Amino acid sequence: MAVSGRFVWLVAAGVIPVVLAGLADAGAAWLALVGWLLIAVGIASVDLSLAASPRRVALARELPERVRLGETVESSLIVQNLGPRLLRAVVRDAWQPSAGASRNARGHLEVPPGERRRMTLSLTPRRRGDRRVADVTIRAAGPLGLWARQATLAAPGRLRVLPPFDSRVHLPSRLTRLRELDGRTPLLVRGQGSEFDTIREYVRGDDVRSIDWRATARRPDPEAPGSARLMVRTWRPERDRRIVIVVDTSRTAAARIADEPRLDTAFEASLLLAALASHAGDRVDFLAFDRRVRGLVHGATSGDLLARMVDAMATIDAELIEADWASVPGQVRRLTAHRALVVLLTGADSPGTARGLLAMLPQLTTRHSVIVASVADPDLVAATRERGGLDEAYRAAAAERALLDTTRLADAVRRLGAEVVTAPPAALPPALADRYLELKAAGRL
Amino acid sequence: MSATATASNRAPATAPAVARTPTLGARLRRGRTWLVIALVMLAGGGLLLVLRGFGGAVAGVPVGPADASPVGSKALVQVLRAQGVEVVEARTLGQAIDAGGADTTVLLHDAQGLLGDDDLRDLAAATDRLVVAAPDFASLDALAPGVRHAGAAPGALDRPGCDLPAAQRAGELSPGQRLFTIDDDAAGDGWVGCFADEQFGFAVAAGPSPEGAELALVGSVTPFQNQSIDESGNAALALGLLGAEPRLVWYLPGPADAPAGGPTLGELTPGWVSPVLVLAALVTVVAGLWRGRRLGRLVVEDLPVHVPAGETAAGRARLYAGAASRQHALDQIRVATIRRLATALRLPAAASVDDVIGATATALRTDPIAVRRLLVDEDPLGDARFVDLARDLDRLERDVRAISRPAHPEHPEHPEALDRLDRPDPPGRRP
Repeated sequence: MAVSGRFVWLVAAGVIPVVLAGLADAGAAWLALVGWLLIAVGIASVDLSLAASPRRVALARELPERVRLGETVESSLIVQNLGPRLLRAVVRDAWQPSAGASRNARGHLEVPPGERRRMTLSLTPRRRGDRRVADVTIRAAGPLGLWARQATLAAPGRLRVLPPFDSRVHLPSRLTRLRELDGRTPLLVRGQGSEFDTIREYVRGDDVRSIDWRATARRPDPEAPGSARLMVRTWRPERDRRIVIVVDTSRTAAARIADEPRLDTAFEASLLLAALASHAGDRVDFLAFDRRVRGLVHGATSGDLLARMVDAMATIDAELIEADWASVPGQVRRLTAHRALVVLLTGADSPGTARGLLAMLPQLTTRHSVIVASVADPDLVAATRERGGLDEAYRAAAAERALLDTTRLADAVRRLGAEVVTAPPAALPPALADRYLELKAAGRL
Repeated sequence: MSATATASNRAPATAPAVARTPTLGARLRRGRTWLVIALVMLAGGGLLLVLRGFGGAVAGVPVGPADASPVGSKALVQVLRAQGVEVVEARTLGQAIDAGGADTTVLLHDAQGLLGDDDLRDLAAATDRLVVAAPDFASLDALAPGVRHAGAAPGALDRPGCDLPAAQRAGELSPGQRLFTIDDDAAGDGWVGCFADEQFGFAVAAGPSPEGAELALVGSVTPFQNQSIDESGNAALALGLLGAEPRLVWYLPGPADAPAGGPTLGELTPGWVSPVLVLAALVTVVAGLWRGRRLGRLVVEDLPVHVPAGETAAGRARLYAGAASRQHALDQIRVATIRRLATALRLPAAASVDDVIGATATALRTDPIAVRRLLVDEDPLGDARFVDLARDLDRLERDVRAISRPAHPEHPEHPEALDRLDRPDPPGRRP
């Protein structure tokens, strides 16, 4: 049961008869008070007994399955009145706070018996992952709206909030470069590991070293008998290479750099790389790992790769545990038996915390090309420049020390045969994509 | 948020949603144990109340004629009644004066000092025999001008020392009696004292009042109370004083005897004020119910852990500052500066510190010794020198950058960016 503001005003209005009666006699004032209270409670009781039951209600939801973080969706709740009375209800759809329902997420509905009404709520989720709703609370008031019956009904719903993939703005420019790479290759001498594409006629500007003399000999010139047309071999970048993206979800990934957790930056970078690589015809596998597999996308076709990746990423959060790097080579071997480009997105930033990573890397680099990508903290770089006072000088020294650690780690990783990409959060996804394009152009995949 | 009322057709029957809120019946069933416990406790409390009896038994009225508590006097009244004395209870002065008269004893115990001088004199005038238990200063002044308070007796009093029959029969009083002194004027008027303490005075005084009534003053109420009436000769004194006449008026002044002052606050306020105050309180409670009722339970949500990344560096900075390890801190800055200088000056990775110093001095056209002192040699003696050196290192780096910038088309924002610029162009890259 719930009391409404109208009932409060009704009780407060009792001051008028009480004062009027009290002008004559104190006893009459007391009588008026008791009488008024009895009248108010009586009216309210009758009102309550005329209210529709908030339990005799059927609920249905219309809710999109997924939404990208930062976008707004409409969530509809359909309330059907199964009872015999008109349902005058305040309805609250109890979404979790970070589902981003508008602050006063309650609606007033009037549902005649047997009919349905729709309540629409716009949700702007503030956090990645599964946002849930479990309950709907209905407060059904009587015709006068003095007292109301209230019940909480189960109406579970789920909205999966996908990573925003803001770095997709970098995709068109990288795809252009990929196409340039494709079109430019015939002009090049065969690079290491490049695939044979076609044999075509020589046009001015082609590299003379790419002329295939045997094919030229087989191809007489129909216009000038006795002579031959020059034929060149063309090559194209390798296709169907394998890329394994391993995202470290251990405690270092929880660190927030430039107001973005490292994990989210890693997801952005993985998505951009995966989008680029699937356009380039490579096969991408995705693995989120700390001590066990948190998310896995394996054997996806280029059509559904991104959808499956964002779906897998949506519910992953950083765990406060140490990563088990020793089992990463085994996980990679399970994903692919062939040579692959393994991209490790990790938060390790000093030789101390990265000991496991460094111990494991040789196992990967003997079989695969490896890129270790990590997020650099722009605040540290800024802190090294601030040397105004004593505290700032010490802070600069500490920041320099942290950057030196990062540099040392990068050197150690390079010595073990892996590549390093380090960049601030906003710059990491394009930097990783560029490194991939470089490797591809070099035929080192 | 919008609630749109879409007119829909008559909907097909659907199963009602599962309610999480228990119905009233379910709630009662669930709380049955507690309900039973509460009912049992209420019933037990009620039973206790009935057993002990409602009313004054609990409160305890001192010298109350119907009060069975230790401070009451029910025992004395019952014994008097058994002996044929008619005991009349009076709660107002008027009742006491009406009931008084010939063959009547009046017992007065004015614990709160409600009676004024005139009231006391009226009472004394209306009665033949007046017994005052524990009179206060004002009563003494009005009834027995020469009798004064004189402290309390330290021990039992066992010498009546007067010819008052009741005192003679009692023979001894319990310890702790309050005492009177009787001055010469009063003694001249016929006042006598009984149960004299050696030093201070008498526990009982008897004599004529100014109005001529026969007056007996007892310093304490202990001879009359249930708890102490059986000690020493208390009972004999009380019975002797009160049972001398066939009628006894037991007068304890009540609220009605209080002297009338001006109109009270209650009489001045209009009659509706109290009801309106009650109504205001009720409205407050109802408004609290209105605003305090939640529309469904709170929704809980697990939030992920996010650690500010700068914590480690900030903590290390505080450690440096706390330990005042200037040398160590400066070394970190120097090593980093030397690395960046080597990169900016395009020196090979294997370049030694001396190479960097030489190249820097050449680039800036300065003294290599000064550069060396800044980059390697000088100890930071004192905080001020440390800050100066840190600043000088920054300035040196900026100067070198400014000179070598033409070689770098973009301004490097980050050491890693410097690294990347310095790497040889990868093979296959578009020139």
